[in-house]
Amino acid sequence: MMNSPEQHLSPKQHLLEVDGLQVDFKTDDGLVQAVRGVSFYLDRGETLGIVGESGSGKSVTNLALMGLVPRPPGIVKSGRALLDGQDLLQMSDNALTAVRGAKIAMIFQDPMTALNPFLTVEEQLTEMTILHLNHTPAEARDHAVSMLEQVGIPGAARRMRDYPHHFSGGMRQRVMIAMALSCEPDVLIADEPTTALDVTIQAQILDLMAELQSEHQTAIILITHDLGVVASVCDRVMVMYAGKIVEEADAPSLFANPRHPYTMGLLESVPRLDRPHGVSLSAIEGQPPDLAHLPPGCSFAPRCPYALEKCTVEAPPLTDRIDQGRFACFVNVDDSEPKPFAAKRT
Amino acid sequence: MNNSAHHEKTSSAESLLSVKNLRVHFPVRRGGWLRGERCLIRAVDGVSFDVAEGETLGLVGESGCGKSTTARAILNLNRATAGEVWLDVARIDQLSPSAMLPHRRKIQMIFQDPFASLNPRMTVGRIVSEPMDIFNLHSRRDRKLEAMRLLDLVGLNPRFLNRYPHEFSGGQRQRIGVARALAVQPKIIICDEPVSALDVSIQAQVINLMMDLQQKLGLSYVFIAHDLAVVRHIADRVGVMYLGKIVELATSDELYRSPQHPYKQALLSAAPVPDPVVERQRKRIQLTGEVPSPDRVYPGCSFADRCPIADAACREKSPQLEGEAHAVSCFKPQLLAPTVANNT
Ligand SMILES: Nc1ncnc2c1ncn2[C@@H]1O[C@H](COP(=O)(O)OP(=O)(O)OP(=O)(O)O)[C@@H](O)[C@H]1O
Ligand SMILES: Nc1ncnc2c1ncn2[C@@H]1O[C@H](COP(=O)(O)OP(=O)(O)O)[C@@H](O)[C@H]1O
Ligand code: SF4
Ligand code: SF4
Ligand SMILES: [Mg+2]
Ligand SMILES: [Mg+2]
Repeated sequence: MMNSPEQHLSPKQHLLEVDGLQVDFKTDDGLVQAVRGVSFYLDRGETLGIVGESGSGKSVTNLALMGLVPRPPGIVKSGRALLDGQDLLQMSDNALTAVRGAKIAMIFQDPMTALNPFLTVEEQLTEMTILHLNHTPAEARDHAVSMLEQVGIPGAARRMRDYPHHFSGGMRQRVMIAMALSCEPDVLIADEPTTALDVTIQAQILDLMAELQSEHQTAIILITHDLGVVASVCDRVMVMYAGKIVEEADAPSLFANPRHPYTMGLLESVPRLDRPHGVSLSAIEGQPPDLAHLPPGCSFAPRCPYALEKCTVEAPPLTDRIDQGRFACFVNVDDSEPKPFAAKRT
Repeated sequence: MNNSAHHEKTSSAESLLSVKNLRVHFPVRRGGWLRGERCLIRAVDGVSFDVAEGETLGLVGESGCGKSTTARAILNLNRATAGEVWLDVARIDQLSPSAMLPHRRKIQMIFQDPFASLNPRMTVGRIVSEPMDIFNLHSRRDRKLEAMRLLDLVGLNPRFLNRYPHEFSGGQRQRIGVARALAVQPKIIICDEPVSALDVSIQAQVINLMMDLQQKLGLSYVFIAHDLAVVRHIADRVGVMYLGKIVELATSDELYRSPQHPYKQALLSAAPVPDPVVERQRKRIQLTGEVPSPDRVYPGCSFADRCPIADAACREKSPQLEGEAHAVSCFKPQLLAPTVANNT
């Protein structure tokens, strides 16, 4: 089939298309099914949020896209991840190195996992653009200074010689963002980028990401457990539970009209600044399942107030919401009586 | 049962815990221990508050502002450099560990990290009954029954008695920490970020548990957290800390609806709420600059470098915390813009 540029840019084709991703870990405790058939897409210039409890597979999903799942114990068992038509999961290590940083980059909760403590900021920033953009050392230096300025490091030229430990937590996070964005990647994966930061610094970093995004049309995947952050910056949201996507929709629809009981429970269990003091929170009872010993059927069933008998034998497939989105539940929560979540004995 | 709550009650107007002008300074060397210059970290620099029986006092503020150091100094785990801590009618700062011990029956602590704060080699039963051994509470045989009762009270299966901490999830470990704190029937528990490490659904379970226990047992809490919404939810009164000082202190509803200190307002406006409709209409108060360092001495208001309404006078003199019901430390206290809490 001919692949004309028009076709390539047609709105049907997404920048990134992930299909049926499965990742396992072999552990002493048995086979941990960390990601169990995850499919989603990402378009240029949009921010996709991924939320879910710790251990639900958010990080592993994205590590797989970056080719960073530790092997062993991990194996990417199946799936495709097409970035501009190229399958990231089938690439050779060399090809991946060329793509990583240039087309797809990642920032982490702890900046020290991405920054080398023994190299100056200059060395780390210039390395990237010399490798990917064929910059001369002088060009690379100028570019690095301008990136540091863009992320708001005061005295950028002077601070190039500093080592990461000379910066505060918030500034390191900015240096890492500068590094991740220095080759203008098409996709930026941000894994809990502000979780370790104070709210005032978090607000600055989120604003910065949005600014850089609108300049370069970067597509962002934002992993977070903070529903407030999701509400303030994400266009679309995916909710993960026990290695699967249980619901996905554009942000306003998801918050206004959650269809999956887990999403509903999550939204009801956060204390909110715009709610008065002292009202009791509805908590989801119990705990997320052990991924090495998953219950049959819907993995949310042991905690779900809506669960039917069927839910403990059969896993609900992802079905369409009325508004483009998807959800995986047998029950239509609107047709059934509201069932409050409550903190019961565990 | 020998319950300290049966002692003569102090009048309700009197406070259970009273912290007066507390200071904790750490002398350190900067930049290599040979030629490094000496400096003083003013981690806590004049903090005062009272906590009444059955009340929850919240403490919020950004990383490094001195919340944990305040908590540790109240329990005498850090020696106070100056100031006083009163529990009931006894002054407890400056006490030696052995002199402090009897007071530890009234005041207990729970910590942020549910993974680090429990001894991995002890069974849950031992962890919960150890404080009873120390204070010689109950007969030896009854201690096991009491431990089972406490596990049940915090929502854990009493049969878990012989399991080890690693067999529990984060939320369950935090429940174990609460059970251990309750083992000596304290009057007040100092909680340092007790739910910060937990997932939201589990966090809600532990918050509800703590509020239930408070009602049942008439406990007081000092509840430290950096999550403003969590603190609003649980605390009756809230103190906002900045660089070792309380800059605003008021009832929870008052402080969130009508904050007067520019810093508190900046914090509130930076905290996102889980509602895209609200978020898309919000305007934020922009703060520039990083949190300043506690090893510097600021001649004027320590917030002046980041304050959107600072003027020359703010850089000359330090404001003091003033006011009874709603205390503020600012020369120009005012509501800069409506807060999200005004919608309630
Ligand atoms: N033993 C110590 N020696 C020197 N400095 C210390 C010591 N303990 C704390 N500090 C300093 O005192 C200040 C207050 O620390 P503290 O741990 O009380 O902050 P915090 O408000 O609890 O912060 P977080 O939200 O990060 O827990 C910080 O600047 C910290 O680095
Ligand atoms: N290197 C590893 N070895 C074994 N198990 C792992 C490894 N990395 C992740 N896992 C498991 O995979 C599951 C998903 O983890 P992760 O994607 O990190 O969750 P989160 O949603 O919190 O980011 C968890 O059960 C986790 O314990
Ligand atoms: S499928 Fe059944 S158990 Fe699963 S979320 Fe829906 S109602 Fe609950
Ligand atoms: S005293 Fe001045 S600088 Fe300090 S908070 Fe008030 S207005 Fe701002
Ligand atoms: Mg993660
Ligand atoms: Mg602390």
